[in-house]
Amino acid sequence: MVGESVASYSSVLLMFGFACAVMAPALLVSRMISPENKKQPNPVKTLPMECGQVPSGAGRTHFMMQYYAYVLMFVIFDVMAIFLYAWGSSLLDLPRTATLPIIAFLGIMFAAMAFALYQSKRKDIW
Amino acid sequence: MSVIAPKFRLGYFLKGIFDNAFWILTIVTLAGIPAIQIVLFYLELPVIDGELLTAFLAFTWLFNPTMQVPLIKALIYSDLFRIAAFPGFGFAALIAAGTIFVERKMLAKLQLRVGPFYCGKIEGILQLAGDGLKLISKEIIIPAKADKPLFWAAPVLFVGTAAAFVALIPVAPGGWVVADLDVGLLAVFAVIGFFPIITILSAWSANSKFPFIGGIRALHQMVSFEIPLILSLLGVVILTGTLNLSEIVESQSSFPWIIFMPIGAIVFFTTMLAELERIPFDLPEAESEIVAGWLTEFSGMMYGLVQLGSYLKLYAFAALFVIIFLGGWTGPVFWPPLDTELITEGIPIPNYAGDPILTVAAPGLPLLDKDPNEWVMQEQGGLVYTSGQLLVSGVIWFVLKTVGVIFFILLPRGVFPRIRLDMLLHIGWYKLIGLSFVNIFIALGLVYAGVIGPGGIL
Repeated sequence: MVGESVASYSSVLLMFGFACAVMAPALLVSRMISPENKKQPNPVKTLPMECGQVPSGAGRTHFMMQYYAYVLMFVIFDVMAIFLYAWGSSLLDLPRTATLPIIAFLGIMFAAMAFALYQSKRKDIW
Repeated sequence: MSVIAPKFRLGYFLKGIFDNAFWILTIVTLAGIPAIQIVLFYLELPVIDGELLTAFLAFTWLFNPTMQVPLIKALIYSDLFRIAAFPGFGFAALIAAGTIFVERKMLAKLQLRVGPFYCGKIEGILQLAGDGLKLISKEIIIPAKADKPLFWAAPVLFVGTAAAFVALIPVAPGGWVVADLDVGLLAVFAVIGFFPIITILSAWSANSKFPFIGGIRALHQMVSFEIPLILSLLGVVILTGTLNLSEIVESQSSFPWIIFMPIGAIVFFTTMLAELERIPFDLPEAESEIVAGWLTEFSGMMYGLVQLGSYLKLYAFAALFVIIFLGGWTGPVFWPPLDTELITEGIPIPNYAGDPILTVAAPGLPLLDKDPNEWVMQEQGGLVYTSGQLLVSGVIWFVLKTVGVIFFILLPRGVFPRIRLDMLLHIGWYKLIGLSFVNIFIALGLVYAGVIGPGGIL
């Protein structure tokens, strides 16, 4: 039972593995037939791309994480969206009163989201 | 300037060919054939007419006219064929390659250019093959201090994840899908969720500033458009009551859902453009600001693999739109139903070979039906068709609709400018989420007003 339902997912993994197994040799073949001077490697060639300038500083710099509040809201709303699927896919079998708690749930989430968006705009924290 | 053959002599050339042939024969004999034997031991081989099909029997039957059709069928209905060729990788890669060529030509026509023109006699039709050869013969340059394992793995993982997305797409009636899951739609969301991770990993591993900025932008964009993407499909799930993609297609045999859910379709199309990083949402690859975004450090075949993956993803998204809103493979069957006797018994040819008494019947070959010897008849719309007829008709409808959707995905690239990052996030969070909730309430209204659903009008 459990094994059967898990086995149907294995073809997704097989497809993933097939694509990797077919495409990885392309990189190997490219490596084999492409011209490369291994005896005298050119250090300038492997510099990170910075429009022809000599790169300054580290590549993985500290980066200002803009729009941080959106990312925080995503964590909440992604879970909420998947919850709604559990309800939506069985809606036709449920009694009609079961819709009311979901509407209340949506109301709470919407109020929270509206408050977050309003506050972030008012305090200008994007 | 490097010269391919500095001292060309016919003798060297022939020696090279003989050397290669010698080594190929040696390696195949010593390693290839034992490897095939070992692999065959673990494979589940099909049984045809009561005989186990081994590789040697297959070679024998290949030249036996009475066994060729069962042999081909056993091949078509094997898992490997599904994964490698028809609903899986080969089919999707073919459409992806066509998309790349059509995009270049169409964009050129929109901008009053000619596009690829000289490679191949007709309208540069061999341009893709030429580009492929160019990419595979270029050197792969890896930036200094890059995280090498991650940097090598990222393009391959990208193609693999796009292929896993393709695996969930049903193409034709009768279970022509690589993975027919009960929760197909949720599996689609799960696979989509992997793309930002691969993007940010490849961007981080390159140890360069432009890929890093592009990767962060891609992360923001994919993350903030994932919620409207998920919510815009909820309306259809409410009306059909299933998450299986094949059942969603079969529920649209009378009318496609886009008639009732135009808002959901528009929201899904917009989020699709954002997830695919296409104009007007191509901030992660904005070529006029950050050289090529997270693709900046990819060179040679690595770039080719990322492009292949992104066009596979484009095909999969267009196919998902067709499946959910445009009715997938449903559509009128292209040919009239034939008489059952005509199909199974064949066409009687009187007066065969000048003999007035002899009558020969030539039955058709049930090539596309599952059973090697019997025809499978299916009813659709009160008429009886063979399942092979329905399969071909369904695939043609599916491809036609998918190509139409792909055209509308490609079109904005020649029409719209790129928008700002804050505008993009504003659209995603304020407008699209609101519209997708409007869509959900339309679906609820249709169910509770008694239009659709158990005991409904339609």
